Formats: sequence, C-alpha cells, structure tokens
Amino acid sequence: MIQRLLPFLTLIALFVGLSIASPDHFLSKTNLSSVVRQTAVINLMALGMTLVIISGGIDLSVGAILAMGGLMGTMAMAKGQPILVGVFLGVLTGCLCGFLNGFLTTRLKINPFIVTLGTLGILRGTTLIISNGLPVHEIPAAFSYLGEGNLVGVPFVLWVLVICAVVVHVILEHTRLGRYAFSIGSNPDAAYYAGIPVAFHTTAVYAICGMLTGLGGMIEASRLMTGQPTAGQGYELQAIAAVVIGGGSLRGGEGSVIGTLVGAFIMGLLANGSDLLGISPYLQQAIIGATIILAVSFDELRKRKMVH
Amino acid sequence: MLLQLTAIQKRFGGVVALKNGNLAVAPGEVHLLLGENGAGKSTLMKIVAGMHQPDGGEMLWKGQKVSFSKPADASAVGIAMVHQESLLAPHLSVAENIFLGREERRAFGWVNRPRMLDQARRLIEEHRFPLHADWRVEKLSPAGKQLVEICRAIAHGSSLLIFDEPTSSLSESETQEVFRIVKTLRERKMGVIYITHRLEELRTVGDRVTILRDGETVHSCGLNEITNERIIQHMVGRELGSMYQRSALAPGEELLRVEGLTRKPLLHNVSFQVRAGEIVGMAGLVGAGRTETCRALFGLDQAEAGTVHIAGQAVTVRSPREAVEQGIALIPEDRQRTGLATALPIGHNLTIADIGKVSRMGFLLDHARERGLAGEYARKLRIKCESPRQLAGRLSGGNQQKVVIAKWLVRGARVFLFDEPTRGIDVGAKVEVYEVMDELARSGAAILMVSSELPELLQVADRILVMRQGRITGELPGRTTQEEIMKLATLHDGGALLEETAE
Repeated sequence: MIQRLLPFLTLIALFVGLSIASPDHFLSKTNLSSVVRQTAVINLMALGMTLVIISGGIDLSVGAILAMGGLMGTMAMAKGQPILVGVFLGVLTGCLCGFLNGFLTTRLKINPFIVTLGTLGILRGTTLIISNGLPVHEIPAAFSYLGEGNLVGVPFVLWVLVICAVVVHVILEHTRLGRYAFSIGSNPDAAYYAGIPVAFHTTAVYAICGMLTGLGGMIEASRLMTGQPTAGQGYELQAIAAVVIGGGSLRGGEGSVIGTLVGAFIMGLLANGSDLLGISPYLQQAIIGATIILAVSFDELRKRKMVH
Repeated sequence: MLLQLTAIQKRFGGVVALKNGNLAVAPGEVHLLLGENGAGKSTLMKIVAGMHQPDGGEMLWKGQKVSFSKPADASAVGIAMVHQESLLAPHLSVAENIFLGREERRAFGWVNRPRMLDQARRLIEEHRFPLHADWRVEKLSPAGKQLVEICRAIAHGSSLLIFDEPTSSLSESETQEVFRIVKTLRERKMGVIYITHRLEELRTVGDRVTILRDGETVHSCGLNEITNERIIQHMVGRELGSMYQRSALAPGEELLRVEGLTRKPLLHNVSFQVRAGEIVGMAGLVGAGRTETCRALFGLDQAEAGTVHIAGQAVTVRSPREAVEQGIALIPEDRQRTGLATALPIGHNLTIADIGKVSRMGFLLDHARERGLAGEYARKLRIKCESPRQLAGRLSGGNQQKVVIAKWLVRGARVFLFDEPTRGIDVGAKVEVYEVMDELARSGAAILMVSSELPELLQVADRILVMRQGRITGELPGRTTQEEIMKLATLHDGGALLEETAE
C-alpha cells in the first residue's frame, strides 16, 4: 500500500522540502502560479496520454500535434477570427491529428510506436511547411488571458486543467469508453473475442488525446503570444514520463488521472525547485531522468510482489 | 538416488507454496508428480531447476548436497526441464535451438554452423524424432517444440529431465509419441519427472508416483501398488464418489445448424446441428479442424462457403462482434490469452461482453449494479473469490474458466462453443465445469464441446462428432467407446505428430 502511495508521498515530500529550503520564494503566490502555468500544458497532454497508454498504445506525436494545433488556432486569429473560434480550431486540429493516429494504428495494424513516430515527422513537417517556418505574431492581446490570466485568484489554466482532469477521470472510471480502454490495454485479444469494437474505441482514445493536446497547444501559444511551428519539441517524452511516474504501465491496462497529475507535478516541482536552489538546468534533466527510472522500478517491485 | 528432496519449503510473500516437499528419483525411473493446481508441483520443480530458491529443506544430487541460485547451475549438473509453454527462440532453427547458449565455436568465436547441424541431425536420427535440424521452430506444432526441448536436454548430457504437463496441448497420437520418447530416456538410465493432470495416461509411462497436496508430499509409492481412485483421494483429500456422468435430457428446438462450412485447407464441408439442451462433443486430433470450426462460427476466420442458422434464422457472422450479437459465445482454448483480462477485476471481466446491462443512458457505468450482477453470477456459478474486485488472474484455473463462462451468461448467449473447456484444470474443478455446462444445457442453451480428452467427452456429451483433416468423419452416440472415436479420428494415419508443419 505504501508503495502505491509513493508518488503522492514523493510529491508531498518535495513540496514540504522546498517550502523549508526556500520558504520566501517557493511558497510565494507568483512562484506557485508559475509552477501551475508551466506544468499545465504537459499536464493536459499527459491526461490524453493516460488514456492512450491505458489502452495499450503510445503517442509520440503529441509534441508535433501541439505545434500544429497552436499554429492553426493562432493563424485563424491572425486572419481576424474571434479568439474562441481560434481556440476551437486549435482543439479540432488536435482531434483530427489524434484521429489520424488512431485510424492508422487500427486500420494498418501497425504498432502505435511506429505510427506515431511517423506522424510525428509528418505533422511537424506539415506545420513548418504551412507556416513557412515562421511564427505567427499577429494575435489579439486578450488571448493571453488563456495562459496568463487569473480567475477567482488562481491561474485560469488551473481551472481548465481541473475540468479536463475531472472529465478524463469520469471517462476512465465511469464510462463504457474507459472500461473498454482498460480491457483493450489489458488484453486486446480477449477484448476482441468479447465482441468489443476494438478499432473504434482505440481510435476514439487517440482522438481525445489529440483534442487535449490541441488545447495544450493553444495554452502554449497564449503563454508565448506566438504561434510557434517548433513548439512542443520533446514534450511527448515528458507527457509519457508523467503517466509512468504516476503508475501507468506501458504494457497497458494500468494508470489513473490522479497518478498522472501527481507525476506531472513531481516533474514540475523538481524543475522549479532546481531553479530556486540554483541547480544547473543540465543537472535538472539528469535528476528528472533518474526520477523516472526510480518511480518505475518501485512500481515494478510492487507488482512483482502482488503476483506471488 | 539421483535426486533426493527433503522437507523443501518455499513461500512467496505471505503465501506458503510449499510446506514439506519430499521427492526421491532413481536413475532409469519415470516418476510421476501429481497434485491439484496450487498443490506445489510446479514450485517444487522450479526449485529443482534452479528457477526458485527454497526457504528450507535439503536437496541432494547424486548424494551430494546442492543449492542452485540460477537455472544455469541446475543445467550445469545435468538437470533439464521441458516447459509447458515453450521456452525456445521461435525464429531460430531446430539445431540452433538445441545448441542455444552452447554453440559450437571456431576460432575468434565464430559459430560452427555445419557441425551443429550435423550433431543435431545425428541426435534426431538416433531417437527417430520426426524433426529436421534446419526447420524453423516457429513452424512446429506444440508437440514438435517439446521434442526440440527434449533434444536440447539430451544434447546437453542431462541425467534428469523434468516434464511439466507435456501432453496438455497434444493430441492422442502425439501423446503416444511423447510416451515412446520417455521410455527411451528411461532405457538410457535417465531420471524422468513427469507432471500431469491426466490420470488416464499415468499407467502407460510411470514407475513411481509422488502426490502433493497443499504444499506437502502426502504419498509416494510404486505405481503398481496404487489404484487411480486412491490417487485421486490423495490429491483432493476426500472421496470423489463415482466418476461424473451427465444424464442427458430431451433436446428442444434446433439452435445451431451448420451446413457445408468450408475454409480450405482447414475445413471441408462441415455440417452438423445442435439443439437446445444438448451437449454435442467434438473429437479429433490436433489440426483436425475442431478449433477452426469454432473460429469460423465465431467470426474469427471467414468461411469460404457454408451457411449457419441460429434458431432457424440464417445468419452471417464476419466478426466476434457479430457472433456475440447473434447469441453465440466462444470459450476459447487459451483462456489466459484470449478469454480473460487477467489484470482486471472479476467484475469487469464479467460485464465486458454486455456493458450496456450495467450502463445508464447507454454510456455511464453503474458500479453498484455491476457489483450486484457480478456477485450474483459469482454465487450462481460458485466462483470462489474474495470479492468481484479481486483480479481475475489470481483465481485458480477452474474459477477463471467459470468467469469466462459467466461473461456469456451475463450477455445472454444461447449457443456456446467450448474449446477444450477443462484444459489445465484440477480434477475436482473439472467436474464443476461439467456441472456448469449441464446447467447451461438444462436452461436451454445449445453446446458444442471440443475436447482432446476422450473420457471427458464420454462423460459429458450426448452425441460425439469426430473430425479428421478438416472433415466430419462420423457421429457417435454419447455412450460410445474411446476405441470407436479413435478409429474415426485416425483411420489410417497414426503419425500425425507434425501434421501442421507439412508444407
């Protein structure tokens, strides 16, 4: 039981540790807000990735989807579309990209690792072609509210994140789609033999992941106030890391929203703490990498004990 | 004595797998190791093979005290194990597998391939194995793979060979072939330990028998000193009464009608019907087309020709989904791989084929109703579990099978295709599976039961269809004999060991 709670305890320990080590800076409202804003994008992607990983898949293309969604949304705004339409377009773009991943995975019956490695290149390339490699700057000033604004004293993105987390949690634990995702991830053959429409639900899972990533792309664009065709590089690995630290298994059938959020915030706090304590960003990367391996080894130990 | 185990103990976490494991094997002896699932047979053998380390007790090998910290230690002294699930490299050849890890080397570490091939060929010839040294292992049948493991053990000069349920996936004729090989090993003064679930095959091969129950050796004696009834009593620890015999009932309307089902080269013009309340057995060798018939009926493979009627209605089934919608259920032969999500709770496994039953508005799950339903079916089928939240993979084989069956009861299926329903299940639990099948039939289901265990077909089936090489070669009444069935199943061909590999 203690091992199942380990991610939570780690997060709490980190929080307490940083509060003691750097009481003035760490606990300040500005700093905590910035931690939330910085991790919100990864968090959203990781929520989608949780669904995908539970269903036994993986999506390496989310970084590219993020850039494409952000670019499409900001381009629409630059062409004079209202902000809401722009955001909607960004999310829709993400959804379509995710659909493409799901469609290719289920129709061509190719390992999703390969499919999304391919779409990662295709989407990133397409984004660069569409934008000609140049960022979009002509964005209405009010758009910055999405990423930088506050609502009732807390960052607006926190509200967005909480709502998305609740929705994904409900999908996973209380809907047919979630149940099927667990079944498919746990044993795809048994799911098929039980008459589950495996291809349909797998595609749906990738599409939802794409939607959340598209939303992440709009938040990223709002924070930078540019539509960056090169945005989100390497984010896919952070999203996967968050899921895995939070107890998700790349073998499928395991994972939870709470776990993923905890995983993402552990990485967020590690980065923030290192900044506050003046640890070099080079070392930061190494620390986060080591954390991933540690977290997964503890989880494997726990599972091995359960088996016997 | 070749091997002597005294008071071996082993626990995993809080679970005691072995309390007092005793076993003595002499050279040139075929020693049967019997016991129900969970009795500790596999754990004991894994300790002998160096895969587990004992927590207590003493192990003597040729009179010397030994302890193995890894499988390589055991194989170094001459102990080899033929596993239930093959532990071979499927993409390598037979010869490469035989010498895996002990390749013949030339200078600079180059592998001496011709010499390996040559040695493998001689070995295969000497034992008259129906194998070729350069065949790729993935193309072999389960029986062929076991032969490769046996070759490997012999090539390594092992003096003790452990078989973990060697015949559970083999047909009758393949089983005979394994027995022949076991006898040649005995003649070479090798010790053989043989784990099995199939009582009827004991007498043919065994010299001595050791019976385990709940992690303890309860009895050990010569095989000619004990009756099968006594053996079962020792295994289950109670009287089993007379052997199970189902009493047939008057069948109702025709629920399943198959006409001219063809899928070349596996199925040719397969026709039969099953009526409500009937259990129709299907016998035949491995590769005779029994599993293929089930697969085609369930939409896993597409038939080229033939019609299927369900309750008088012509239906086309192109996927399991469509089969399920027509009320067809498949209880697959490979429970763990295709029947269950072992890492998910029992409750989830029970409702997976009909999630609508526990949903509100078509998509929101009603967890309370799901738990209620799961509890209800767990009681109805006497599934021994702590709660519906327990993981399906932690149940015993018999209870896992009941979960697979219950899943289709929840769905309300009426035509049941059972493919080897009691494979790998304890003697006691087998009877419980028969009882569940009987209750199904009594409640109006039509059941097709594929089985390689002839006694079981004779006990349970009302009629028995026999298949050979993709065709139904005959139909026999339920009270027929094993000889009659075998006649139809084999006709002239006896050595069907590598039927599947013939190209």
